[in-house]
Amino acid sequence: MPTAYDRWLRIVTALGAREGPEPTPAGMCSAASDLLAAGGVGLLVMAEGVPGAGFASNRLAEALEDLQFTLGIGPRVDAHARGIPIIESDLAAIPECWVGFGGAAVEAGVGSVFSFPLRLGAARVGALTVYQLGSGPLRGEVYADALVWADVITRALLAGQVGLPAGSLAVGLADEGSFDPRVHQASGMVSAQLEVSVGEALTRLRARAFADGIPLTAVAGEVVVRRLRFDHR
Amino acid sequence: MPMASREELLADTFLQLADTLIEDFDVIELLTMLSGRCVELLEASATGILLADVHRTLHVVAASSEEANLLELFQIQNEEGPCLDAFRTGKPVVHGDLGAQSPWPRFGRQAMAAGLPSVHAFPLRVRDTVLGTLNLFMAQAGPLIEADVAVAQALTHAATIALLQERATTDANRLTAQLQGALNSRVTIEQAKGALAERANIGMDEAFRRLRAYARDRNAKLTDVAEAIAGRTLAAAEMDILIAPDSYVRFDHG
Repeated sequence: MPTAYDRWLRIVTALGAREGPEPTPAGMCSAASDLLAAGGVGLLVMAEGVPGAGFASNRLAEALEDLQFTLGIGPRVDAHARGIPIIESDLAAIPECWVGFGGAAVEAGVGSVFSFPLRLGAARVGALTVYQLGSGPLRGEVYADALVWADVITRALLAGQVGLPAGSLAVGLADEGSFDPRVHQASGMVSAQLEVSVGEALTRLRARAFADGIPLTAVAGEVVVRRLRFDHR
Repeated sequence: MPMASREELLADTFLQLADTLIEDFDVIELLTMLSGRCVELLEASATGILLADVHRTLHVVAASSEEANLLELFQIQNEEGPCLDAFRTGKPVVHGDLGAQSPWPRFGRQAMAAGLPSVHAFPLRVRDTVLGTLNLFMAQAGPLIEADVAVAQALTHAATIALLQERATTDANRLTAQLQGALNSRVTIEQAKGALAERANIGMDEAFRRLRAYARDRNAKLTDVAEAIAGRTLAAAEMDILIAPDSYVRFDHG
C-alpha cells in the first residue's frame, strides 16, 4: 500500500504536469475530476466566512454547486460548517436529504456525493465536492486520493491568498506530506506575532523555508524554540 | 484528601469515561485524559496515543507531555519503534530494557537519551482493524508486570470505545471521516497552543494545560475553544484570562 507521502507526491506531480507550477482553482477542479474518474468535481472557496467563488470541472458539477449556493444547504455547506467529510453514497435512496438538492442531483444523474472540507485546523477555506454517477461508497484508494486532493487544494488556495514566488508551490506542497505538530504550533505563534490568520501564517513559514532552501519543519522548529520571529522585534 | 489507591483511581477513570460517553464529547480531550491517567496508574513517565489516517500513516492525537509528543513523532518519522510494531502486528509490544538490547537502533538511542529505557505499546483494535496504538514510556528499566499489562489493555479498550462512539455505521468511508475529524481537531489544538504560547510567553505544555483548564471551567469542548483561539474569534477579555489566569484567580478572591 502506498504511503501518504507517495500518494501526496503522485498527486502533486500529476497536478503540476497538467496545470503547471501555478494551478488555477478551475484547473485543480478538472485535474481532480479526471484523476479521480469522477462524474464531476466542484470547488467552493470561502471569502471572509461567506461563500465566495465557486469552480467546477463540468456543467453537471457547476449546476449542483450553483444550486447549493442558491439553497444555502447541501453537502458542501455541511462539510465546510462541520469540518468533516460529508458522504451520501446513495442519493436515490433518500432524495429528500438536503431538501431541493437531493432530488435535483438524482434527476441530473448523480448517484452519490462526497464533500470534503478544505481545512488545516482552524484555517477553513471551503469544500471540494466529488459527484459520482453511480451509487455506493468510494473505493478505499479513491477515497484516500480524494482526501489528498482536498489537502493539496487547501494549501494551494492558502498560498494563492498570500502570493508566493513562482515555483514555490510545487516544492512546498511536496515537502508537506508529513505531519509535524511543530509546524502547526509555529503557525499559531506566527499568527499571533503578525496578527494574521493561521493559514496565512503557515504560508509565510513556507515562503521562508523556500527562500532559505531548508525544510518547513526546520523553520517551524526554530520558531517553536523562539530562535526565529516573523515580526522582527 | 488521602491519596487515592490504584483501584479507586481506576474506578474513577471508568466512571468519568462512562459519564463522558453519554454526552456530546470531545474525543481529543477524552484521549488526553486517558493518557494522563496512564501516567498515574502505571507510573509511566510519558504516554501517547497514536491514530492512523486513511493512508495508514500514524499521527499523535494525545500525549501526556510535549516530550512524549516528540518521542512519538520520532518513531513515526524513523518508521521504527514499539508503536509501529504494535500497529503493524496488532499485538502488544512490551520491552523492559532498551539499554540491554534494542530491536530499534535509532529509536532505542533516542529513548535512552530521554532517560526512558522501558517502552511498551498496545494496539487500539476493532476486530481485524488496528486504529492506532497506546504507548507507555517508563523511567525504570524492567518488565511490565501482568497487573500493569491488564490495566494498560483496559485503558486501550476505553480509548478504542471513545473513538468508535460516533460510529453507528458500517460504512467504511464514514468511519474514516470521523477519524479524519479527530486528526483535524489535533491540528487546530496545536495551532491554538502556538498562538497562546506566543501571546502569554509560555511553553507548549503550559499552553495546553491552560486550554484544557479553560475549556473545563466553561464546560466547553476543547476543540471549540482551540478553534476560537486559532481562528482569532475569542473575545479579547477571554483571551486575557488565558494569558494571565493567575491574576484573575487573585482578583476573584478579593
